Amino acid sequence: MMTWLMHHRRAILTTLAQMALSPVASLFTLFAIGVALSLPAGMYVLLDNATQIAGTLPAQNEMTVFMRDDASPDDVTKLKQQIKAMPDLADSRFVPRQTALQQLSAQMGMSELAAELPKNPLPDAWIVTPAATDANTVARLIKQLEQLPAVALVQADHKWAQRLDALLALGRELINILAIILGIALIAITGNTIRLQIITRHAEIEVSRLIGATDRFIRRPFLYFGAIQGLVGGAIAWGIVTLGIVLLSPQIDTLNKLYATQIQLHALGLTDSLILFAFASLLGWLGAYISVGRTLSRIENTH
Amino acid sequence: MIRFDRVTKRYPGGHEALKEVSLEIAAGEMVFLTGHSGAGKSTLLKLIAAIERPTSGSVLVNQQNVGRMRRAAVPYLRRNIGLIFQDHKLLFDRNVMQNVLLPLQIAGFSRHDAAARARAALDKVGLLDREKTNPIALSGGEQQRVCIARAVVSRPALLLADEPTGNLDSEYASDIMIMFQAFNQAGTTVVISTHDHAAVLSGNCRIIRLDHGSIQS
Repeated sequence: MMTWLMHHRRAILTTLAQMALSPVASLFTLFAIGVALSLPAGMYVLLDNATQIAGTLPAQNEMTVFMRDDASPDDVTKLKQQIKAMPDLADSRFVPRQTALQQLSAQMGMSELAAELPKNPLPDAWIVTPAATDANTVARLIKQLEQLPAVALVQADHKWAQRLDALLALGRELINILAIILGIALIAITGNTIRLQIITRHAEIEVSRLIGATDRFIRRPFLYFGAIQGLVGGAIAWGIVTLGIVLLSPQIDTLNKLYATQIQLHALGLTDSLILFAFASLLGWLGAYISVGRTLSRIENTH
Repeated sequence: MIRFDRVTKRYPGGHEALKEVSLEIAAGEMVFLTGHSGAGKSTLLKLIAAIERPTSGSVLVNQQNVGRMRRAAVPYLRRNIGLIFQDHKLLFDRNVMQNVLLPLQIAGFSRHDAAARARAALDKVGLLDREKTNPIALSGGEQQRVCIARAVVSRPALLLADEPTGNLDSEYASDIMIMFQAFNQAGTTVVISTHDHAAVLSGNCRIIRLDHGSIQS
């Protein structure tokens, strides 16, 4: 156990010493890895922000049934019974016009505007959820609801909500593809630096073999090198993304003021950051593993 | 300790370095391998340390057939053999002390024990005051002594020296031979290859003479 710990400690120290030996080259490699990782990480953060903003919007299969502006409380009661009687509706909820106005002014920051209005322009409304989400049912429901008395308009939010969802899904897929491509790039970058390392440390490897070093002993510092390089590259990517968010924030604030919105960009969360670091180290380790195996067996065959 | 049984080594390309060589070296012996260059001395030593594998025949070291040894077991064999090379094979990216420490680090000694042993080994070869020097700044004789310190630092039961005095003045060479004799007297089995008959110690050491890959008696 002690021996094992010592070997690992030594391998880590050797790795750091190797990095310090050629600081400029190490920095270039680390930045290349950082930039490569920052692309998917940055896109992920943007998409995550977009998803969160989209999350404040109505759920996708709800429909809004607006009543006529002149509808009386009697009409409301009547309509309530009629809606309750419809078998295809899973849920319904009444939004009185006053509540709607309050929500609107709170949500969009338009309290000044609402206060200046001579009269509430919003009608009473019902938010209903269809039992089934397929296009045919929804279309039939819209027709049925529109034919009810005291109903002015039925608005199905589901279409554009579905479109937004599809767009977000497309974005997610793009990130996945980008992450895979750049992950492979990371493996390749690491593999190449490790290959050069092994070539420069050829003498040390040869001597170590002759005096009884196991393959593991020889491999270990290189694996650490790959993992540490990946980890630091991941940290640089994290820095780039966070810096990007910090730089964008003033612009978002300006937009918030202009549009009276409350959008705020957030950086990578703790879990996401840890996942980024873990993946970066893992890919670095993998690149090193592949490269060490190939390069060492080639060295052995030539000498 | 070492037993060759009709060992033949043919290198790729057809050159036959050893032909049906049989020999036995007992534990505690000090043996000189002599012969012209290309007689097969280096190959014989390489077969003992499993650096090369025999084409046919068997090489036994401590009752282990090293010719058929699994790759993963070879490092543990080598930890019990001190290897000394004509070209020293020292690492010039670290100082003398760190060169001598390398076998101990590989074997997993604690830093404290390793440092004490390395100092003792450097003391034996008379280079304790040079521990911080880079070996590139040392003379050929001193480099050879660092190589010897590295070979004996893990106290192996067997020392193999391939032309250890090949590049040295006769005065240095005899110093080094006396050093080997001291290790032998401490119980280590020593096998030294040399093409220089003058370097062979007078006394009762056994001499194995190789000629074109065969033993001359």
